[in-house]
Amino acid sequence: MMRQDPAKHYFIWPALLVVLVVTIFPLVYSLTTSFMSLRLVPPLPSRFIGFDNYTSLLANPRFWHVAGTTSLIAFTAVALQYVIGFAVALALNSRVPGEGVFRVGFLIPMLVAPVAVALIARQVLNPTMGPLNEFMTLLGFPNLPFLTQTAWALGAIIAVEVWQWTPFVILMLLAGLQTLPNDVYEAAELENATPWQQFWGITFPMLLPISVAVVFIRLIESYKIIDTVFVMTGGGPGISTETLTLFAYQEGFKKFNLGYTSALSFLLLIFITIIGLVYLAILRPYLEKHK
Amino acid sequence: MSVRDLKGRRRWLALAGCLVWLAFTLFPLYWVGITSFKSPVGVVGGPTYIPFVDFEPSLTAWRELLSGARGQFYSTFMASTIIGLSASVAATLIGAMAAYSLVRFQFQVRLLSGLIFVFVAVGGFLLLRDILGMGQALALIYSFIAALGLSVISAWAPLPGPILKNKDIVFWFVSQRMFPPIVAAFALFLMYSEMGKLGFKLVDTYIGLTLAYIAFSLPIVIWLMRDFFEALPVEVEEAAMVDNVPTWRIFFGIVLPMSKPGLIATFMITLAFIWNEFLFALFLTNSRWQTLPILVAGQNSQRGDEWWAISAAALVAIIPMVIMAGLLSRLMRSGLLLGAIK
Repeated sequence: MMRQDPAKHYFIWPALLVVLVVTIFPLVYSLTTSFMSLRLVPPLPSRFIGFDNYTSLLANPRFWHVAGTTSLIAFTAVALQYVIGFAVALALNSRVPGEGVFRVGFLIPMLVAPVAVALIARQVLNPTMGPLNEFMTLLGFPNLPFLTQTAWALGAIIAVEVWQWTPFVILMLLAGLQTLPNDVYEAAELENATPWQQFWGITFPMLLPISVAVVFIRLIESYKIIDTVFVMTGGGPGISTETLTLFAYQEGFKKFNLGYTSALSFLLLIFITIIGLVYLAILRPYLEKHK
Repeated sequence: MSVRDLKGRRRWLALAGCLVWLAFTLFPLYWVGITSFKSPVGVVGGPTYIPFVDFEPSLTAWRELLSGARGQFYSTFMASTIIGLSASVAATLIGAMAAYSLVRFQFQVRLLSGLIFVFVAVGGFLLLRDILGMGQALALIYSFIAALGLSVISAWAPLPGPILKNKDIVFWFVSQRMFPPIVAAFALFLMYSEMGKLGFKLVDTYIGLTLAYIAFSLPIVIWLMRDFFEALPVEVEEAAMVDNVPTWRIFFGIVLPMSKPGLIATFMITLAFIWNEFLFALFLTNSRWQTLPILVAGQNSQRGDEWWAISAAALVAIIPMVIMAGLLSRLMRSGLLLGAIK
């Protein structure tokens, strides 16, 4: 039911105003700043330089390196989250023994502050005082440099992301699984379809819309990663684990290069938008096929 | 027992898998829990696992933390609590109002009015600042007011072009969530600093951070609440309308009480998001209104390997949210969040 009433304006304007003031306002400011040469330290008079900030960023190998690192972390972490999350959701939905305990336990990581998670990870991964290295030594491995060697550090960050955000995938897919009708499965059972066939023939296609949404949200969120990396490695060793947001923070807050940072954050926005659009464009045919 | 339940060997395999994942999930939390009860000697000597068996628990870390010997924990905790609670209450209320109006009323906005807003805001800002030589903040405020005024007036004029409906407005709100927060956080910091020069101190104030959090929680609140309101039966509202009950009383007296579970879930999700938020707090606060994540992150560089103290600090940030996870999962079991994902 839709109705007309002038009171509707009083309902929507508070939200509209807050969003306009706090998000659009700064956006206008940083969009105009991204076309200027503006530094606070040393203070130089600002001047209009057109697309120079953008071109110098695009020519900066560090930018591409950082973009590559962020993509690697985001795609690997989200892929793992999705596969593990789907498996766990399936198990919970088919009532493994102790399902109630699992549900509460599995939800927790999502609500823990990422900085706290990163600090715990640093303890667990500590070369001399952490339990993981002791465990690895027990298995016969040498003492592994989890946070100080590029490959291991990237792996550690991905593991932390998986630990923290798989619960989100579980939560959403579980809710989706519960809405699936039973009679389809009963029919499949009569036809003697194997569980494997039932999964690919019924469960997966029917959950495709939710899956697409979940992966989309996770992917976009993963591209914004900063707190975990900030605490775990600080972007190191060198800049090998630096992410886009961390790079922007370094440029803006350490070097006070305002025009450059604004341009960088807009490139990140464009980057995320392109990835989102490509992702949806690739998946649209499949979504429509299953409708 | 439904046909979808696992049988026989598969069931036990699934259980084994779940147990492995549970161990992976809970071990870090267990670890931080026991580490906070370790004495300095117990930490440096290498990993130990079970209290009373291979290390003697001590309350050193907690005593130091609670006595305030380790920085201003109490005031940071209070700042986090005050900002978290008030921002999530405000966001839930404002967002619920907007979501309700988007579900029950027809909105029509011309695309052109939106474009007018953007052009007047950007153009006016550049004009006032660079050509008329006005200060940054003043130029922003004037151009913003002009843009808002012109676009509202233009909404009445019979302009050509496509018309945006409720669906598009919801999409616009939700798409705000896609913005990388660094875009806004950094610009917001600069804007707040400019406002400070005009005499309105916003950096490191209650208002400044709370306002930012409200704005950034609104997309998710509107998204969630819209689904809850859509699921409500309209008959009750229609009956009230026949009796000429004004809209605001229908909303506060009938609709809000009916959607209490949805409001509570949305409030909790918003609170968790604000409680754990790092980037805005990093940019917009520096001492008085610093929140827990910043303090916890700072432990790392200040304390080095004092893991017992760091663990206790991290737990202060974790425990309130873990309690909430328990409450939330109870709500979840009643099928409450089902609607939220469609």
